[in-house]
Amino acid sequence: MKQSAIIVIIAAVAALLPLMTGENPYVLGVMISVLMMAALSSAWNILGGYAGQYSFGHAAYFGAGAYTTMILISTFNVNPLVSMAAGIIIACIIALITGSIVFRLRGHYFGLASIAVAEIVRLSVLNVDFSGGAQGILLSDLSLWGLDLNSKNPFYYGMLIVLVVTLGITLYLRRSKTGFYLQAIREDQDAAASLGINLSFYKNKALLISAALTSVLGSLYALYIRFIDTSAVLDLRLSIEIILTAIIGGVGTLWGPVLGAVLLVPLAEMLRSNVIGETLVKHGIVSETSGLGLFLKDNLAHAHVLVYGIITVLCILFLPKGILGLFRRTK
Amino acid sequence: MKKKLVSMVATAMLLLPLLGHAAPIKIGFINSITGKEAQIGENLTNGAAMAIEELKAKGIQVELIKEDDGGDPKNALAAYEKLVTRDGVIGVVGPYTSGSANVVASRADQYQVPLLVPAAAKEDITMKGYKNVFRLNAPANVYSSVLMSAVAAYKPKTIAYVYAATDFGVSTVKTAQENAAKMGLKEVANEKYQQGQPDYRPSLAKVKAANPDLIFLVSYDADAILLMRQAKEIGLTPKAFLGAGAGYTTAQFAQQTEISNLVVSATQWTDDVNWPGAADFARRYQAKYSKEPSYHAACAYEAMKIMVVTASKSKTPTQLRAGLKAGSWNGILGPVKFADYSGFTNQNNHPMLVQQIINGKYETVYPAQFSKKKLIYPFTR
Amino acid sequence: MFFLQSLLSGILTGGVYALAGIGMSLVFGVMNISNFAHGDLMMLGMYLAYFAFTLLHIDPYLSLLLIIPTAFLFGFIIEKLFIHRIINHPHQNQILLTIGLGLIMSNSALLAFTSDPKILTTTYSSSAFHFFGGISLSVPLLLSFVITCGIIGVLFFFLSKSTTGLALWATSQNREAAQLMGINVAKMSAIAFGLGTALAATAGALIAPTYYIHPMAGHTFLLKAFTICVLGGLGSVIGAGVGGVIIGVVESMASTYLSSDWKDVVVFIIFLAVLLLRPQGLFGKKGEQ
Repeated sequence: MKQSAIIVIIAAVAALLPLMTGENPYVLGVMISVLMMAALSSAWNILGGYAGQYSFGHAAYFGAGAYTTMILISTFNVNPLVSMAAGIIIACIIALITGSIVFRLRGHYFGLASIAVAEIVRLSVLNVDFSGGAQGILLSDLSLWGLDLNSKNPFYYGMLIVLVVTLGITLYLRRSKTGFYLQAIREDQDAAASLGINLSFYKNKALLISAALTSVLGSLYALYIRFIDTSAVLDLRLSIEIILTAIIGGVGTLWGPVLGAVLLVPLAEMLRSNVIGETLVKHGIVSETSGLGLFLKDNLAHAHVLVYGIITVLCILFLPKGILGLFRRTK
Repeated sequence: MKKKLVSMVATAMLLLPLLGHAAPIKIGFINSITGKEAQIGENLTNGAAMAIEELKAKGIQVELIKEDDGGDPKNALAAYEKLVTRDGVIGVVGPYTSGSANVVASRADQYQVPLLVPAAAKEDITMKGYKNVFRLNAPANVYSSVLMSAVAAYKPKTIAYVYAATDFGVSTVKTAQENAAKMGLKEVANEKYQQGQPDYRPSLAKVKAANPDLIFLVSYDADAILLMRQAKEIGLTPKAFLGAGAGYTTAQFAQQTEISNLVVSATQWTDDVNWPGAADFARRYQAKYSKEPSYHAACAYEAMKIMVVTASKSKTPTQLRAGLKAGSWNGILGPVKFADYSGFTNQNNHPMLVQQIINGKYETVYPAQFSKKKLIYPFTR
Repeated sequence: MFFLQSLLSGILTGGVYALAGIGMSLVFGVMNISNFAHGDLMMLGMYLAYFAFTLLHIDPYLSLLLIIPTAFLFGFIIEKLFIHRIINHPHQNQILLTIGLGLIMSNSALLAFTSDPKILTTTYSSSAFHFFGGISLSVPLLLSFVITCGIIGVLFFFLSKSTTGLALWATSQNREAAQLMGINVAKMSAIAFGLGTALAATAGALIAPTYYIHPMAGHTFLLKAFTICVLGGLGSVIGAGVGGVIIGVVESMASTYLSSDWKDVVVFIIFLAVLLLRPQGLFGKKGEQ
């Protein structure tokens, strides 16, 4: 009860945020990225956090949504919402095939196999023609019921809705029989099986829910940017970013992935756009002409991925259970 | 206390631009500084930096705000929106990659801030009728058309394609196939490869067995050298190797004389072309960065120069757009004019050049009006 | 002729893959860690060979004598500083730590050496032996292959005959039991990671004269190394050696008879098939997963 009230309150606050930021497109754009990563990471968390199945291939479902949507709209001019539904179906089919392969494996093997499946999907999309191949798919115009799809609001609220739905499903699952079974599987697969839990059924159920949500986010992303190629929506980097967000926030908690996204996405953007270096210089903390100032100005842009790597290492070493893990009693 | 004072002064200085027009105008520059395209991005960074430095010396002040997109369209869009809405730039140069340029171009009319694309090749970018999108370089189809007209006189009969599975590779080969069909060339092999592989020998062996007159290549910096090494190793000898820009136009490639001699390539720019200042630019670039400039560097240099000079005469993005649309320039990239022709909008109809490597040096060989040397055909080892 | 040519060039390229796979397999076996920084360690080896050649004028193959101990020490220190702290943590944390370390290495290299690819050009870089029937063999690849075989031989001898080698082997069989037998397991982990690093760097140095050197150059080999050690059986030196050659030949055959852009798909399908049908790998014993 309390958790669901918190979801409602936070969603309401988030819904009002665009009005408070004066709808600045840049800020709104970053907030869309935050919501998207929060939702992606939360959707992954259903499978990874609660069922303990660490998929390193979630980009495949994101890409399935994005590609299905773009192909259907660009070649058949299908309604965007219908194309989204089709994306869910394709993602679920890929999930079922993946599940039938990877769920027989455990530990390292499971993670590596999920990478292999995702790479097969990526390379296939890259090598066939109807997906646009290496050229990707560009959509110059898009319309839906007279909504201004050039503005950011529809996507902000779209991402927010998916996030709320994902959190709602997570909360529901956590209290349901399925949720208990999933957590039993996470703690000890063999014990769970000996209790008569159908491992394959429940793992696949978690995967399907997770994949369907991820695919919707992929569709939204594609409609938002209106250009996709394999490196933007099917890359291993995306899968890793999703997991990293969840781990830094706290795996297997309701709010961990959200917290991870709220912290990591703006940080990555600040590093990328060099706002940090710029601010230090502007406020006179570092002189622009000094060695450090020049370094920050010219090289921090080169170094943002490096800083990201350092943060990852520090988090894993010192916050292995994530930020929320600090506040949780050990089980 | 002292710190507070310093920060107050700093804040006051920040507010100054609002009071008068004392501060220089702002220009944005979106580039791939990290990521897969970082190798080429670096050439653009250097070229643009040189332009800014020279203009400063001439008394034209401009504040350049650099943004990295890492080759990711989502980041490029964020960068453009930051530049336009937060930093208040009146014009943007970039982005480098076609994907990023396409995404940013599609939003430029919405924000009404002109975008000058220096080196992205995809045709689409200037084919959608966007009023605020300008492109300096010639698009993908010119790479193959200029190469094929250079060798047309020798009546080749067959052609094979070997190219990287990237946007640039696939787009360029698609237009090359159209151009080849017009010339009546027969396609005998088509080998697309993933970048970064250590072994291209099986693909090259297949091409060798097809025995084509022409081999059309699209590669990047490092795989061009790798591919040509292995081509020599297996004894692949067509009548001509035609490299479409990128990896076949770098100084590093030319220096590998064992494998690069007599390779023909299409380029946006050479240092021995008779465009004003080209040779001089190459000399200054070499002195500053101790390497020869690539055509990407030259494109970024010229784009930045055009942008800043035009922007310095404009106060608003609208004036800048009008300035870019109306203006004409004649610099290291030859005569530049943003025109509307055969489906393009605001596209500089840039004549591409064909160059040939002769003993480690690029010599312009085609079209005749820009070159001093003649093409050597056929290729021999 | 096609068949023989692609078989031979596949075997030679596979030799370098094998070395990368063996390093990964050793770390996998002894420490039970998937090392996602392995490709970046290879990249460091490439730069070491490049600088040894351009600054010290040492032939890349000769420079191995310098690179192997340097890389071993580097790996040893990395293990002591970072990896050993998380040796009992969940797999995913270990994976993310090595991903983070890899990002740090590749992006430090980007800052230090810029993104300009470096080409190591020796006098024999593009020379080849030509045989009857138009078959050619790359001289540098052939040299790399011979050196690889030598290194595998020495390693095999070390692991099966020396005390440290046996202790490593025992640790990979059963960590707890090895500890009970008085083996310093922590030290074995550091040695294994040092050896893994040295092998990765060696693979990098060996491929440097026929490849290009770039801060991100290792990434191509990372997934291949994983595939190879799963194929050969985790922790099996000979298995990884054979696995590497198999992958090299499969890639080569796939590009010849299918198409070069589908060859990686073929490799991943084989990878999945091995995982499903023979999860212990070609050379592992059942129940060793």
